[in-house]
Amino acid sequence: MALLGALILVAAVVGFILQPVLQGHWASLRHQDDEMTEAEARRRVTLLALRDAEYDFATGKLDVDDYTALKRQLSAEALAVLQELEASEGSDLVEAEIAAARKELEEEVRCDTCRHHNPTGSRFCGACGAALVPQETAGAP
Amino acid sequence: MAKNGRFMVGLVGVAAVVTYLIWTGVSDTMVYYLTPTELEAKITADPTFKEVGVKVSGRVVPGSHEEAPGELLHRFVIHDVDSPDVTMTIEYRNVLPDTFSDSESMTVDAVVEGRFREDGVFEAKTVLTKCGSRYEATPEELAAG
Amino acid sequence: MNILGELALWVALPVTAWGMALGYLGGRQERGDLVLSAERTVYATFILILLASLGIVDNFLNDRFEYWYTANYSSRNLFVFYKVAGLWAGQRGSLLFWLLLLSFFSALAVWSNQRKNREFMPYVVGTLMGLQLFFIVVLLFAEVNPYEKLGFTPVDGAGLNPQLQNYWMSFHPPTLYLGFTAFTVPFAFAMAALMNGRLDSRWIEVTRKWILLSWFFLSVGIVLGMRWAYEELGWGGYWFWDPVENASLLPWLTATAFLHSIQIQENRGMLKVWNMALVLGTFVLTVFATFLTRSGLIESVHTFAENTTIAYIFLTFMASIVAWGAVMVIYRLPKLQSENQIQSFLSRESAFLFNNLILVAATFAVAWGTLLPLISEGFFGEQITVGPPFFNRINVPFGIALLALMGIGPVIAWRRASARNLKKNFLWPLGVGLGVTAVLWLTGVRHGLALTTFGLSAFVLYIIVVEFWKGTKARARIEGEGFAAAFYHLVSRNRRRWGGYIVHVGVVLIFAAFAAEPYYVEVQQTMQPGEVTELESPLGGTYRLTYESTSSNVRDPDQNLAWQAVALVMVERNGKTIGPMRTEKRGYIRPEGQQSTEVGIHSRPLEDLYITLADVDLEGIILENDPNAQAATFSFMIKPLVGWIWAGLFVLMAGSLIGLWPSAEKVRAPTVASKATVADPAPAGD
Repeated sequence: MALLGALILVAAVVGFILQPVLQGHWASLRHQDDEMTEAEARRRVTLLALRDAEYDFATGKLDVDDYTALKRQLSAEALAVLQELEASEGSDLVEAEIAAARKELEEEVRCDTCRHHNPTGSRFCGACGAALVPQETAGAP
Repeated sequence: MAKNGRFMVGLVGVAAVVTYLIWTGVSDTMVYYLTPTELEAKITADPTFKEVGVKVSGRVVPGSHEEAPGELLHRFVIHDVDSPDVTMTIEYRNVLPDTFSDSESMTVDAVVEGRFREDGVFEAKTVLTKCGSRYEATPEELAAG
Repeated sequence: MNILGELALWVALPVTAWGMALGYLGGRQERGDLVLSAERTVYATFILILLASLGIVDNFLNDRFEYWYTANYSSRNLFVFYKVAGLWAGQRGSLLFWLLLLSFFSALAVWSNQRKNREFMPYVVGTLMGLQLFFIVVLLFAEVNPYEKLGFTPVDGAGLNPQLQNYWMSFHPPTLYLGFTAFTVPFAFAMAALMNGRLDSRWIEVTRKWILLSWFFLSVGIVLGMRWAYEELGWGGYWFWDPVENASLLPWLTATAFLHSIQIQENRGMLKVWNMALVLGTFVLTVFATFLTRSGLIESVHTFAENTTIAYIFLTFMASIVAWGAVMVIYRLPKLQSENQIQSFLSRESAFLFNNLILVAATFAVAWGTLLPLISEGFFGEQITVGPPFFNRINVPFGIALLALMGIGPVIAWRRASARNLKKNFLWPLGVGLGVTAVLWLTGVRHGLALTTFGLSAFVLYIIVVEFWKGTKARARIEGEGFAAAFYHLVSRNRRRWGGYIVHVGVVLIFAAFAAEPYYVEVQQTMQPGEVTELESPLGGTYRLTYESTSSNVRDPDQNLAWQAVALVMVERNGKTIGPMRTEKRGYIRPEGQQSTEVGIHSRPLEDLYITLADVDLEGIILENDPNAQAATFSFMIKPLVGWIWAGLFVLMAGSLIGLWPSAEKVRAPTVASKATVADPAPAGD
């Protein structure tokens, strides 16, 4: 009885393991299409950093000057990554996406009182302190 | 690179502080861990060593455990595991570990930390017991049990 | 079952060897069939090791004392629960149990990566199977086979060490082992990344949950061990800087460092070599902790000396892993360059970096102190030891610095914090911390370290609470949500961050509990029935303890008890009756002659009353049933805040689970998904 069990166990294990080699079943060894590439991962990280900075600004942890400086730096990095992606993939869809992202990144709020350019999401003008007309459409911090 | 250089300096600074902390920590708090024979040899070589706090490991002599009724004062004898002639009398004022025993049927090793008193009794601050051998019975013991 | 189990262990030997060889070979030659075959060995090994483990449990349940392992760790009258736990009671079973968990996690890792991270899998499988092969070889050939027979059948087993007959002990080792083994998966991915050359943050991203899972189990396991020590050793302490405790702390320290430093690599592309070193180091330390626990290499209250040759096998194994990892890292150095530099000392990166330095320094200090007897023996021929004074002296400042960083980290800006930023964010928290310190000082807390810790705890808690509050408020305003919904979305959108803050709250509670140690009260008192001892709590309140009597029970084979002496103490607090508390001494039938003390604990939110029966005339009470032999010596202790350790653990678990919960938002499929025919430029093996 024990011997029979042992035989069945060994046979099952050997068959299970050798089957792919004998019958030529191949497992994929390639990177799948729905996974992020290195550049995509970096884009995601940069956009997350941008979101974080906006959050810090909205909760008052960063003041306007710090926020503007940080955002300028991050935006430059984000654009560089996006351009890299564009170069490597060159599809229309990607270009459209980049254009949209770029527009969002570069868009600034102009103060109606003194014409000073303020970063998106600002509620008050950094130069004269006047209230800005809220223009938010999407994107939570 | 200047930034990196500054960070390297910081890193080396932290490493130096940590090394210093560990070094002084060890030299201030270290205790020798000896067998009774080694301790005896050290004291013979340098009588002032008697004052130094040490940790000693030895085997509890069966039947040597006495306690003062009504107060937590224990006295027992340990001998060197390798040379049973070398013994030390230990006094301990606290609760002994559960695994401590001076029964004939058990081999109990004790690790005591403390220092010698004037009268030659070793006053222990801590007593730990090791009874590993107890749980790893030899086949003969199992056959007997 | 036991025959099949033993056979399964032998069958697993060629299976794992095959899996390791085919994994690496298939990866190098890009042969998908070989890789698939290797992946199947992972599943097969799990089944085989499961059978082998069930065989051991079967041996315990059926009292098969012809086996060395069963005979040494069980006895007929051992409670069934502890018979099952016998699988991890001794070194031999522990090794098999370790292997079981490792094979389970390996199977899980392969199963969850059937359709992704394919470029890593051949090497991941090869590495995992190589490690399992090592453990199987050790089990079968290093004289630690749990299936080894004695050659005769003893009437009864030697019995389980009574200190291990405690329910915490049934959970504590498995939990730690889960933590140790789960870390193997990140290690295997790191090795795979070094081998296939894809050295961006991908290997970290895919193993992030594994790292957190491992950390979660390590933390829970360590605290359960503290709970065990607190209840079972009867000294009222929970941490003794004992070598085995230290051994489990070491991988926890480096894993904690790793958990923080990977965020720097993900966000800023820095610290790549450092992270490789940490993953390697943590893995090696988990192996070290596993074998140290029961190897007898360093004496400890937990070690039950067995065979020491295994220590040398393990040391060689660990040294080879470190050497292999170091060679691979050096070989890949060009691909491990930092993409950025730290811009300022005053930045969140820098806070993370300091956290890492402190944790690694603590690891070195603890390792040094633990291994000092061995090192000094090797170099000077004399054993030198250090005890708790050393470890406290080194680690208390480290702990305080970490506590401060837990407050600074969340609010300091990334990259470069301006003076305005610092003032804006730290003014109030510092005020709150100092305020709490001042209030405590005025109410009589004068111990410097305790005051510092409590003040810093308040500083950190205030910062975290304000973070949650501000975040929720901002979200509620911008999204126009109610506060509950805003809070929920805030946390669920960035669970790592907010889960991490909750974990920090748990850690703060635990640290505060540690800091209360100078306020522990202990009184030893020999009493006759009816006598009263009064105990003043440092937090106010008076306990009135009346010794009632000690009663005895003789022989309860169902509970494996030879005898019991149970002392009852009536407790009142500020005149209000709390009830009787019991503490006892008991002797076990098996192992014969062993006794243990069971403590009585009354827990309140702010303090524990802890009583132990230190000494009683056992002969008089049990053998002679002498009514005049009732005098008993008790140890009465008050332990302020000790319950916060266990409470902190729950908070820490909740925070970790938030981070571990499967992500709802799937990684968005890239817009190029339609072009599925185009092969990706994925790095293939080289």
